[in-house]
Amino acid sequence: MKKMLGFGTLGSRIYSTFTIMMFAAIFVMQLVAFRFTVNTVQNSTLETNRTMLGQLTTQIDSYIVGMERISNAVLEDDELQSYILGKKDALKSDSIAAVRTTLENYIQARDDISEIAIFPKDGPVIMSDQSLEVNPWIDFTKQPWYQDAMKAHDQTVVTSSYVQNLVKGQYSWVVSLSRGIVAEQGQNFLGVLLVDLKFNRIQELCQSMAIGEKGYNFILDSQGNYVFHPTQQLVYSDLKSEPVRKIMALLEDTEQAVYNDGERYFMVETSPHTGWHVVSVLPSEEIVTDWKNVQFSYAAIGLVLFLIVGLATNGVSQGITKPLRKLRDIMKSVDTGDFHLIGPIKATEEIQELARDYDIMVTRIRELMQDNVREQELKRKSDLKALQAQINPHFLYNTLDSIIWMGEMKQHKEVVQMTSALSKLFRISISKGRELIPVKDEIAHVQSYLTIEEMRYRDKFDYIVDVDPALYEVKTLKITLQPLVENAIYHGIKEVDGKGFIRITGEEKEGDVVFTVHDNGKGMSRQQLQELRNGMETPFDERSSYSNMGMGVRNVHARLQLYFGEEFGLTCDSEPDKGTTITIRFPVRRGEESV
Amino acid sequence: MKKWFILLLSLMAALALFLVLSIFYDQTRSETVELDRPIQIVMKSIETEPMDFWEIVMRGMREAAKEYGLDYEISGPSHEKEIDLQIEMVNKIIEKRPPLLLLAASDYEKLVPSVERASELGIPVITFDSNVDSSIPISFIATDNIEAGKKAGDELKRLMKGSSRREIAIVSHIKEVSTGIDREAGVRESLQNEQVIGTWYIDVEQEKAYLATLELLKNGELGGIIALNEASALGVADAVAEVDGARDRVWVVGFDNAIQELEYLESGVIDALIVQRPYNMGYMTVKTAAEFLMGNPVAAELNTGSLLITKDNMFKREYQEILFPVRNIE
Repeated sequence: MKKMLGFGTLGSRIYSTFTIMMFAAIFVMQLVAFRFTVNTVQNSTLETNRTMLGQLTTQIDSYIVGMERISNAVLEDDELQSYILGKKDALKSDSIAAVRTTLENYIQARDDISEIAIFPKDGPVIMSDQSLEVNPWIDFTKQPWYQDAMKAHDQTVVTSSYVQNLVKGQYSWVVSLSRGIVAEQGQNFLGVLLVDLKFNRIQELCQSMAIGEKGYNFILDSQGNYVFHPTQQLVYSDLKSEPVRKIMALLEDTEQAVYNDGERYFMVETSPHTGWHVVSVLPSEEIVTDWKNVQFSYAAIGLVLFLIVGLATNGVSQGITKPLRKLRDIMKSVDTGDFHLIGPIKATEEIQELARDYDIMVTRIRELMQDNVREQELKRKSDLKALQAQINPHFLYNTLDSIIWMGEMKQHKEVVQMTSALSKLFRISISKGRELIPVKDEIAHVQSYLTIEEMRYRDKFDYIVDVDPALYEVKTLKITLQPLVENAIYHGIKEVDGKGFIRITGEEKEGDVVFTVHDNGKGMSRQQLQELRNGMETPFDERSSYSNMGMGVRNVHARLQLYFGEEFGLTCDSEPDKGTTITIRFPVRRGEESV
Repeated sequence: MKKWFILLLSLMAALALFLVLSIFYDQTRSETVELDRPIQIVMKSIETEPMDFWEIVMRGMREAAKEYGLDYEISGPSHEKEIDLQIEMVNKIIEKRPPLLLLAASDYEKLVPSVERASELGIPVITFDSNVDSSIPISFIATDNIEAGKKAGDELKRLMKGSSRREIAIVSHIKEVSTGIDREAGVRESLQNEQVIGTWYIDVEQEKAYLATLELLKNGELGGIIALNEASALGVADAVAEVDGARDRVWVVGFDNAIQELEYLESGVIDALIVQRPYNMGYMTVKTAAEFLMGNPVAAELNTGSLLITKDNMFKREYQEILFPVRNIE
């Protein structure tokens, strides 16, 4: 996991970077949009609610104002005026009837008026219907509407809603409008006019203007008591409560228009005429019924967007990395020594260019490699030639001297023998210019050489050639044994008195051809042996820095290594006064010939 | 790119989106009950006089149902006395397999088999106003009548403190009904150290109460009468109002809130009334049903309470709507 996110590959890096960035972008965008939507919905709902509330307040107000006009009209009525002002004292009962008729007319015109009554300071109460009896058990002058009207002179006073028990046997829910009747010229208090409005009307208004299924309106009077509440009984028995104090505080706070108790939104407006506070209540769930859908669709859109972006990013990163990976795979084959061309590739321009440049490079490398191989080959050949050319110029004229000398001694037989041996020796050395010759030819070559040397150093040494005939047809590098034999004679046997002995063996060991050239001559001291070995290990080019000693041996070793590889060549073993053994090792090759 | 990596990242993102959006979506836990069929309510009576007790009960039910988004159907006989009809209706309703049955049993014993049948069918039953003699109902929502009786007794004791006449009579509507039995028990418990001279049963007839009271008033030691329902209270009040001076000598405590009773209360014939809260009863009944359906715990018994109303507090704003229910506008 960590590795995945640790930007291991270019693809995963591109993918994760893009994904995380796009996710963050979508996420932030979604949050902002969601909040914005929610706020918009909420604000518009609350705005609607506020408008409704304003209308409701206006309607209640205009309703009350209308009632006030009626009360004005009643007060200005001539009959009433004359009765109240006592102008028609004599005809009192008649004038009472006339006033009553006036009141009755108003009540009949308006079915939302429950009662209109006049309470003269001194004199009987006049109600709209003669049959109605004033409740004997109450003192109306103690009722709040009477008291308030008295205090307010000719201003209209509006009560809260209550059960009017003015008429005996009748209990009706009303809102009372009352005003003092004052003599025109002075402050004389003459009585009170009472207009009872049926409470239903206000209830109806409040309920018809409620928003949503669970929204409702209620009304508080200026003291914060309920004028109307749709579930008053629940409120009074504490099954339901309204944050009245908070709502009243809202009135003083001009900045905050809405109070939210977590579940409900409260808005309040005060009706200027009645002093009532009309409160509109909207449960949060009414505002946000669609939130669930909004939330769901936002989440769904976000998810889809994210998936699309994810897939697109994946596509893009694939598009970038696929050709790159192909390039990488092809380039990797260089490890194994293969130089493949990429060829035309489906990718962006940059990568195509890269591929093209790579191809050019590879082509150049291939050419260089071929050049290199050819040069190496040439160098090797020239080296080989050079090495072969170093073989024994002294030997030739020594031998020729010997032939001349034998000729003078008239030893014709010996002359013939030596000359034919020499001829054979050279024929094989040349071998039509081939590098590899069969083992039997190599043996014939060394035997010719031994024949010549034996004749020159009469009775100085004996020799044995013991080579497994199975090896005869195996190819060997030509002129490998002769230098070793030459070495054995000149640096081994010749240095000691008495008759020497040279043994040449040949056999196959573990797939390699192993020749040994053994002599019982002087041998080498440890130091000399070490020097020879070092000389053999020294690169061929630097051989001149070493002494002449063992030059033939080193030549053979170098040629074998050049031809067969580093692991083949010569090994030397020697002890002072005991002799030297040199072993040749090279791989078995039959029939074919290379170079 | 590995497939699971895409999947993992996408899922992570989706999850995160949902989670964060949910954080903003906290206040909207819905308190509504979703049912495929309406719950059934069986009343004692549905054809009601205006502003009758049962109509107010229904108003409370309507309010609670609106609040909880609960669908309901109301049925019941026309009159409380039609016990057999109610049983028949209940049985029919049970076979319709409603999600819940709300029942105001018109008989304590006779409705037990119906309730048992409902229980067999896995229909939960909640009773209100009047219970059945069974432990099956999940909840019983009603006025605690013993407590109401005690309130009446306590008030009479208080009123009679200075009075020299110490004898008290109880006028009850009917002997076998549970409201009568409970209220009388409450009264007697409260008045156990007073001189209760007896209980007069009037078979829910105002006239009988009137006549009985006339007789009782002849007793010079009678200081108080408790009338256990509307009919008995009105009969008692009629007599007390008629007999000269009786309203000053005898204290009367009644039950319920008929307009005439309230008039008598205002005029001083009746001195106190014990009033139930039918609106709250209806409201609490449906609320309990809704809570139960939402899987919330509900109380086995719920007392919706009673109020002591006197002339002094009868026009108090908070009691006005209970005593004089606002006529509905629907």
